[in-house]
Amino acid sequence: MPEHREAPAGYHRYHIPTKPAPDIEKWPSRFKVKVRRTGLAKLLLSEVLHYRGRKDVILSRPCMYGVFSGPVGGFMPREEHCVGCLRCTTEFPEFVRIEHNPERQKLGDSYFTFNYVDQIAYEASSGLVPVRGAGYRGKFGGEGWDGMWTDMSEIVRPTRDGIHGRETISTVVDIGFTPNFLQFDAAGQPTGSLPHYVSVQLPILFDGGDLPGNSPAAHIYARTAAELDTLAVLPFEHAIGLGEYAHAVVPVVRPHDAPRLSQLGFTPRVVEMHGWDDALYTAIAAAFPEAIIALRTGFEDAAALVGYAQRGIKVFHLLADFHGRSPDGRFVLDLIRESHTAFVEAGIREEVTLLGSGGMIAAEHMPKAMICGLDAVAVDTPLLVALQARFNGECAGRTASHFSFPTNLNQAWGVQRLKNLAASWRDQLLEILGAMGLREVRRLRGEMGRAMFMKSLEADAFAGLLGYTEAK
Amino acid sequence: MADITHKTDEQLIVEKHIANLHNGFAHWPRAEEAPPALGDSRWTQDLILATWLMAETGKPPENGLEYKIGASGGGFDVLDFNIPSEDQWLPADTEIDLSIPLNRRDDGAQLKINIPMYGGGMSYGSISEHVMQARARAAQHLGTFTSTGEGGYPPSLVPYKDHIITQVATGMFGVREETIQYAPIVEFKYAQGAKPGLGGHLLGDKATDVVAAMRESVPWVSLFSPFPFHSVYSVEDHRKHVDWIRTTNPRALVSVKVSTPTDVDMVAVGSYFAGAHIVHLDGSYGGTGAAPEIAKKNIAMPIEFAIPKVHKYLVSENVREEVTLMASGGVRTAYDVAKAIALGADGCVMGTAELIAIGCTRCSNCERGRGCPFGLTTTDPLLQQLMPADWGQQRIVNMYNAYAIQLRDLLRKLGLKSIRELRGRRDLLKYVG
Ligand code: SF4
Ligand code: SF4
Repeated sequence: MPEHREAPAGYHRYHIPTKPAPDIEKWPSRFKVKVRRTGLAKLLLSEVLHYRGRKDVILSRPCMYGVFSGPVGGFMPREEHCVGCLRCTTEFPEFVRIEHNPERQKLGDSYFTFNYVDQIAYEASSGLVPVRGAGYRGKFGGEGWDGMWTDMSEIVRPTRDGIHGRETISTVVDIGFTPNFLQFDAAGQPTGSLPHYVSVQLPILFDGGDLPGNSPAAHIYARTAAELDTLAVLPFEHAIGLGEYAHAVVPVVRPHDAPRLSQLGFTPRVVEMHGWDDALYTAIAAAFPEAIIALRTGFEDAAALVGYAQRGIKVFHLLADFHGRSPDGRFVLDLIRESHTAFVEAGIREEVTLLGSGGMIAAEHMPKAMICGLDAVAVDTPLLVALQARFNGECAGRTASHFSFPTNLNQAWGVQRLKNLAASWRDQLLEILGAMGLREVRRLRGEMGRAMFMKSLEADAFAGLLGYTEAK
Repeated sequence: MADITHKTDEQLIVEKHIANLHNGFAHWPRAEEAPPALGDSRWTQDLILATWLMAETGKPPENGLEYKIGASGGGFDVLDFNIPSEDQWLPADTEIDLSIPLNRRDDGAQLKINIPMYGGGMSYGSISEHVMQARARAAQHLGTFTSTGEGGYPPSLVPYKDHIITQVATGMFGVREETIQYAPIVEFKYAQGAKPGLGGHLLGDKATDVVAAMRESVPWVSLFSPFPFHSVYSVEDHRKHVDWIRTTNPRALVSVKVSTPTDVDMVAVGSYFAGAHIVHLDGSYGGTGAAPEIAKKNIAMPIEFAIPKVHKYLVSENVREEVTLMASGGVRTAYDVAKAIALGADGCVMGTAELIAIGCTRCSNCERGRGCPFGLTTTDPLLQQLMPADWGQQRIVNMYNAYAIQLRDLLRKLGLKSIRELRGRRDLLKYVG
């Protein structure tokens, strides 16, 4: 017996290195702490008299989080430390008041609400899975993602061990073409179409395909994607300068880019064509014969997508707006199901890869989108929020939205924020997979049997109750 | 002026904060405006304040606080009772029975509880010993049970052992021969609603010397209860577990606590056939000392949907009368209890409501730093003194007394003399969503 075993040469266990990357721009605190100074002064006076100078007793204050520990204590509370436990206001209802900070609540927009912003900020700064005490605090269910629950199994393979690192749960996904079956000639050599795909370590891609020109984020996306072994989708003009991350950069080619394809300076593994265009397709195929050509387009016409597959496209990057809507107002969850089902019914779902963007703004949306039929999610607005971009008004349209990054945005910090975000989302994905007993993420795609929808559960439970049928 | 000279600083600090806190718990439910940052969709400001008031007075609030439903927009919050006209109500002096049997089989002790509720598992370490004592004493007073959770059985609970359920969970922390032998009921925890499929996790900060000793582990090292039971991959394996308990304590009833997956109905029937007396469903919106947010919201179904699914299936399998179905996970009020029963449960298991009665504000900071600032979910020696066990016991008893008043009043208006008659009476519910 050898004394110790070594991993096979070249083997390394996939791991995302996280480290704290605190905010570089000060955002408003979550809570406002209001202390009436006369009330506090009276209390101090009465306690000085009552406790006759017993300093530790007099100075013992309710807050355990340092809000009243500044040089002048409660006279100038340090609101940024407040976690909203309400012990102070319970002890001193007469002169302490804790409020949600309306300035904080203005972060984000009507879809990317401040609760999601808070969550992303935590994930990007810490790299951790958000863990909190007490139960769920939100609405019962709702529309869209909120009306869907994922399944678990009471008795499963012990994948929980996988979550804690003793066994592996794979998060690798393949992007490209895999034939339904292989064909061989008489000599046993494969004939016909052969698999052509790239594997990435995460079902999380970075979508910056609509970033405005000279955005500082493009470089950060590319470098982070390269370091994480995933892909960053970027406009062609951004991609031109990013050859050092050639392995990870997916240029988005629009018709006006056709004359300058040769300027890219590297051979990309995947290229996205922005909307179907015969001439552009031919030009891209000629310029990058080894590359996988993906079609970047809207979700809305599932039948047309199947048609494009028959014309040679095997990877689809499907887009909803940043609020998860198609131009006709349908929600991305339903759009994903429609697209996936169209390919299943055409008998070619196994041959194609479906990527999706738009409206997937929390870790839980990723496994839900995959259950509905995506192979991987190309994340968009959460990356902006992770980099502390502020939305200027509603951030819904892919090209019409306005947001601004912190003026001191720098690459090292930005890369760490995105790595932390990816690590946190991956770990949360492992929680979901572990609960189901799945040992690789590819098995999640289209697993509708592992989804529970509020509409059908409610109908099963409440049908027949007085008022139910009328309400529905 | 009180003589403070003989008291230590620590005594004075604890006394000062307890007095202030009790003042606040009494003040806020009566104030014109609620604390603005209190509450959420499930536990609204009104529900929390009403629970504080009930815990103080032992009666339902009469000052306009909403104590029946929250504002979650679904589940129990969109159900109401279809109360008949007053001439069909039972007379005001009618005896209404709130007791339920916990053993519907013909083996084992014929246990019953005086109210259709008992306390859910909260482990030593995730909550303070004072909280455990308060819950155990309240259970004894009320003629019901509370559960140890998975963290051992502190000796201070032994005097109340006839009212304590010993939990056996996947980490087996604190499970000993004597704690099985103490138990009138042994509860297997297969999963927990707030973090279904994820096992348990006690943060290192909470694994103090005492907690670690109780769990027979190393102090200050995080403890994971794995998922699932590594010895159970089938109903037959579960049967083996039941036999093991029976060998150690032949009198004990067996409860099986499971979460609410798609096939929760099959799981329930399987548990019954493996010998369970009680099937305990823990829905996805239940409480926890610490859980990933992603799990609380997204994994497994809410209890409101699981109860009718299981009830119907047990009926169709012709075993409904042989098993007790208890529901938990988001049951917040007496009206939630009644709705759960009308949907098909026999009774409910309560957790968060008891913590709220003893001062929880639902702030979700249980796992942060030294633990709960109100002394509930903490092992910090100073903090846990903020919730004295005798005060906590009375608050919990009062809350259940207020629930009992509401349940009796509701049953009388529905024309029912016993809570047992309410089970599965969906016809008495209406949808108001
Ligand atoms: S609410 Fe809690 S954290 Fe905030 S100031 Fe008051 S005691 Fe401190
Ligand atoms: S920390 Fe907050 S939520 Fe947790 S028990 Fe204490 S008061 Fe309740």
